[in-house]
Amino acid sequence: MMPLAIVGIGVCATGMANWAQARPVLLSEALPRLDPLPRLAPEFLPPVERRRANATTRLAVSAATQAVEGVPSADVEQLATVFSSSDGDGEVLASMLAALAQPQVVLSPTLFHNSVFNAPSGYWSIGSRSRAASITVCAGAASFAAGLMEAQAQVRATGKAVLYVACDAPFPAALASFARGALPFACALRLVPAVEAPAGHQGCIDLSVRDRGTTAQEAPATDLQDRFAGNAAADALPLLLCVAARRNAHIALPWLDGTRLWLDYTP
Amino acid sequence: MTNACGVGTRAVQRALQSGTSGLRRNDFAPAASLATWIGRVDAVDAARMPDAFAAYDCRNNLLAQLALEQDGFVAAVRAATLRHCAERIGVFLGTTTSGILSTELAYRARVHAEAGVGEALSPEHYRCRHSLFATTEFVRAYLGLRGPAATVSTACSSSAKVFAVAARSIAAGDCDAAVVGGVDSLAMSTLFGFHSLELLSREPCRPCAVDRDGISIGEAAGFALLDPRAEALVCLKGAGESSDAFHMSSPHPDGAGAAAAMRAALADAGLSGGDIDYVSLHGTASRPNDAAEDRAVAGVFGAATPVSSIKGWIGHTLGAAGIMGALSSELALRLEWLPATLNCAKVDPAFACAVVLQSRPMPLRRVLCNAFGFGGTNCSLVLESAA
Repeated sequence: MMPLAIVGIGVCATGMANWAQARPVLLSEALPRLDPLPRLAPEFLPPVERRRANATTRLAVSAATQAVEGVPSADVEQLATVFSSSDGDGEVLASMLAALAQPQVVLSPTLFHNSVFNAPSGYWSIGSRSRAASITVCAGAASFAAGLMEAQAQVRATGKAVLYVACDAPFPAALASFARGALPFACALRLVPAVEAPAGHQGCIDLSVRDRGTTAQEAPATDLQDRFAGNAAADALPLLLCVAARRNAHIALPWLDGTRLWLDYTP
Repeated sequence: MTNACGVGTRAVQRALQSGTSGLRRNDFAPAASLATWIGRVDAVDAARMPDAFAAYDCRNNLLAQLALEQDGFVAAVRAATLRHCAERIGVFLGTTTSGILSTELAYRARVHAEAGVGEALSPEHYRCRHSLFATTEFVRAYLGLRGPAATVSTACSSSAKVFAVAARSIAAGDCDAAVVGGVDSLAMSTLFGFHSLELLSREPCRPCAVDRDGISIGEAAGFALLDPRAEALVCLKGAGESSDAFHMSSPHPDGAGAAAAMRAALADAGLSGGDIDYVSLHGTASRPNDAAEDRAVAGVFGAATPVSSIKGWIGHTLGAAGIMGALSSELALRLEWLPATLNCAKVDPAFACAVVLQSRPMPLRRVLCNAFGFGGTNCSLVLESAA
């Protein structure tokens, strides 16, 4: 099948507020100190939406914005998007559950519309003025691979660019037993058919459902991966490391039933 | 297909053909304070989860299981598994709240008991019952399938979009066939949430009516097997998706995003507006939604194509709305019969579309069905009779 080229990339995570900051972290031998993210207020969103958007939306949009840097806004308006997240926004969920448990239930309308899983997609389409197709998927611990598979299928079906955004953030203490990740992580990949990729792209990927390896070949998790363990979106880390290092790789991505999918990367 | 009108397609068909709505006054205990009407599936309350799936025991998964056991669906999947093998059959389901009710009730019990934080709900509870992937994981395990899987959660367009996802997955070679569907069960979040937006009607919802004043929430589960190698009575001809880029919880007033989705579905099917015999509306009975959809449909198809909404029969089933639209359209194509827009006594005079007020037989070849959702997400499907 046709490989896809990465023509835009974005990261927003603890210690890696953007792709430029992420590169040295990914390439460092010893794990550097990871500074917490500041409160994100992506200027990509109109002021009202920026104020209303939930935390995972602001995280996802911060990564997505980097991946469309330099792209004419007319093209961003045509850009289809695929969002994935294992768990959505935990802060919103905790607030909803707390409100629903009161004897007199009073829910804020904004809280309710922010509770939809596709909130990042909705805010992104408003900010980008894009009427293009947008989808939001999850598959538990396999969410990153499931979203990438959908993004790849879209590029193959349409021959057009797709922006893939994966985003997960820790749940608040009240729901800590639900989602295991302790640190926020979002990444964005703008993908096009490899044959149409301009020079200077960030390499090509090919995700296959065919079993082409066993877990025995799997690279051990790095210290960086360990820090983001439990965050499904951070399954992007091995790929991002290979992009930063411009290194060929055969990457095992967590998939369903405890199995792995294999992602080929060529710089 | 299982919804407030019946368990299984034959029961739903009987209700549709006898003009019987499945809506009733809200008697859903966790949200009993709300003066509204709901589309409740009584059989879920009596359903029991098999021991092997005890970890998945919650209203949403029970509703899914109830629907899976209707209409010969399990046997059809078994036959497909023999044709393709379990690893090559995908599962793509839509939901908006999955089994969140199980957590809502646990939270409420805890607060009422004033027991402080109490015992934390387990990670297994979250994964198997509450999380958005829970029902997809359950259905996949229940059917013994091992192909690609994902939950699509794009509010009320979720289980229309699963058709597009499955078609792409098959085209990309990621699977050879796929189970698609949608499952959403009554929950406090959605009932109180739509109440907070003042979108719930105090009466049975009246789509397209001049006096419509909001939605009735329903619960439903429905599934379809998409298999390019199977003989089918009805085929998916095309799917179209778009975004409004307008507002998180209000539609674009002119229905521009909705029109884009319908045009994209027609283009995907290689058809034009004149090729469509009937449009199954999203038609929630909210004032702005129905008005925007009317403008969009009239813009794409003109005013002559008959349109109707099934929400007056089963309510707005949210993440299951897309599959309910698709399966009721499949029924319409098989029966060559148009369902009325139940509860609509007088069509909004501002509407341009030909709203069907009396169910009637009609030769049907192709149907377009709409599903739109919060976040400005739109999806349209074109279904065609193979006969």
